[in-house]
Amino acid sequence: MNTIEVRDLRRIYKTTVGVVRRKIKEVVAVDGITFDVNRGELFGLLGPNGAGKTTMIKMLTTLLIPTDGTANILGYDVVHQANAIRSRIGFIFGGERGLYWRLSGIDNLRYFASLYHVDPEVTMKRIPQLLELVGLSDRGDEKVEGYSRGMKQRLHIARTLLHDPEILFLDEPTMGLDPVGGREIRQVIRDLQSEKKTILLTTHYMFEADALCERVAVIDQGRIVALDTPEALKQGVSDLSVIEIEVFGVPEEVMNQIRNLPFVDTVSVEDLDQKQALHVHSAKGSEAIPPLLSALESVRVGKVTVREPTLEDAYVRLVGGKV
Amino acid sequence: MKPGMLKAYIHVIKLAFIFTLKQSMTDAFILFGIFVQPLLIAIMALFILGDQGDELVIFIVVGSGLTGLWDSVLFQSGNSITRERWTGTLEVLVAMPTPIAVIVFGKNLAFVTQALGSMIVAYTFASIIFGYPLSIESPMLFILSIVLTVLSFVCLGLVLATLFVLNPDVQRWQNGLEFPVFILAGFLFPIAILPMWTTPLSYILAPYWAAVALHLSSSGKPNILEMGLPWVMMVLLGVLYLFLAFWLFRKMLFKARVDATLSGQ
Repeated sequence: MNTIEVRDLRRIYKTTVGVVRRKIKEVVAVDGITFDVNRGELFGLLGPNGAGKTTMIKMLTTLLIPTDGTANILGYDVVHQANAIRSRIGFIFGGERGLYWRLSGIDNLRYFASLYHVDPEVTMKRIPQLLELVGLSDRGDEKVEGYSRGMKQRLHIARTLLHDPEILFLDEPTMGLDPVGGREIRQVIRDLQSEKKTILLTTHYMFEADALCERVAVIDQGRIVALDTPEALKQGVSDLSVIEIEVFGVPEEVMNQIRNLPFVDTVSVEDLDQKQALHVHSAKGSEAIPPLLSALESVRVGKVTVREPTLEDAYVRLVGGKV
Repeated sequence: MKPGMLKAYIHVIKLAFIFTLKQSMTDAFILFGIFVQPLLIAIMALFILGDQGDELVIFIVVGSGLTGLWDSVLFQSGNSITRERWTGTLEVLVAMPTPIAVIVFGKNLAFVTQALGSMIVAYTFASIIFGYPLSIESPMLFILSIVLTVLSFVCLGLVLATLFVLNPDVQRWQNGLEFPVFILAGFLFPIAILPMWTTPLSYILAPYWAAVALHLSSSGKPNILEMGLPWVMMVLLGVLYLFLAFWLFRKMLFKARVDATLSGQ
């Protein structure tokens, strides 16, 4: 038995549109997803915003009822056996919400431990250990409203470990954190991984998935478009090189011209304050540079580099340039 | 229920009670509802009715304290689930093994208990500032009535909390429910002066029986039999509210998991 088993899972949201003639509009967030996660594995769900990652996590943590399909956690059905699942899992939904800001970090942990039915004596021993683990030992008695975003996120991690769960669902745990905060959270995740916890992580940071995950499912528009190890996914673009070109304002028609060049596989644009970086995937490597610069004749061009593809490039290829 | 669960639930109720009080004591809106509004009502009632004898003053003090209790149930307990949704904690609570109803029970117990402060404020104000000689005629009966009042109000708060989540249209009438219950429950004057057709409405409200029990035990020396009816009615209505609330909780949680409305975003 796999720790997490997901079969043809579907979730449709219904919203009403219009004021006088109200119509029900259906949005398919998750569209027939199937995957398994093994015991002790760190499995990643990668995808652009709106791909269905959070919906997926919420169904697996029993907060949303799937429209169709099945999902089992440790053999328990997420719809009909939700209570059996809830005491065995831990979860973080990205962001700062979900804590009592007017209480101290320690009070938050005491309260949540009681909701997991952790023995009060065990709670009093475990809280200092968890605060130590997440680096909040010296701030635990302060009100959460004074915490930085990263501290709140670390308190969430402590909260999710109070009952020593077998499985962890981490939804964008480093979202919005500064580089140092993000690195600290990733280190905590690595520590948990070494304790053989089963972890399902969602992220849209490719380097994070590459650094942490044993297997990755790439989701786009509610469907899995690839599922493999990060190395195997990168292998899928090993025939390509990535040419990065700094440009200062590139018109759409020039972009279309580049996309239509026969040797160009995909193109994505990254906004960097007053300039942009074009990431052009091509099998021709540095030979592609002269025709690309000709196409960019009317545009001010900065630095041009060629590099080996990363997981991000594999991802861009899979989701067709959406980042 | 598994063995040991009751102990775990009592611990949850205890911590929900303590931490809700801790948070409320820094909330100006809550402090206004508990201490200032009942005081204003007491002052108004004392000016209108205060010259009709000292025995009426304790009636006013208890009645204005009850208005604070009802406000607390209506606005604090009634919004207890909605507030968790606004702060993003509702999803966290629902995904935990403790039933959300147990958590809300502990929170509502804190809201109603802290609202007892309004009765103490009104009592202190009338005796110190206005100089009325105040005494509770049957203190033991009064204390038991207070305990039953708190428990029945908490159960009523559970019903309101779920109802306001299930039907936002009902929540829009929240402010409109404040004064009708002051009147129907006879907090500040007997319901005998109201039209006959309103009497059945009063009888299904635990606040009415609470007002009867508290007024009887504070203003006179009733025997146990006289107190029996309001006490039994508070217990019966409390149990009825409790069953209704658990049914509404199940319905609310299932609907929220289908409609994706737990996060409030």
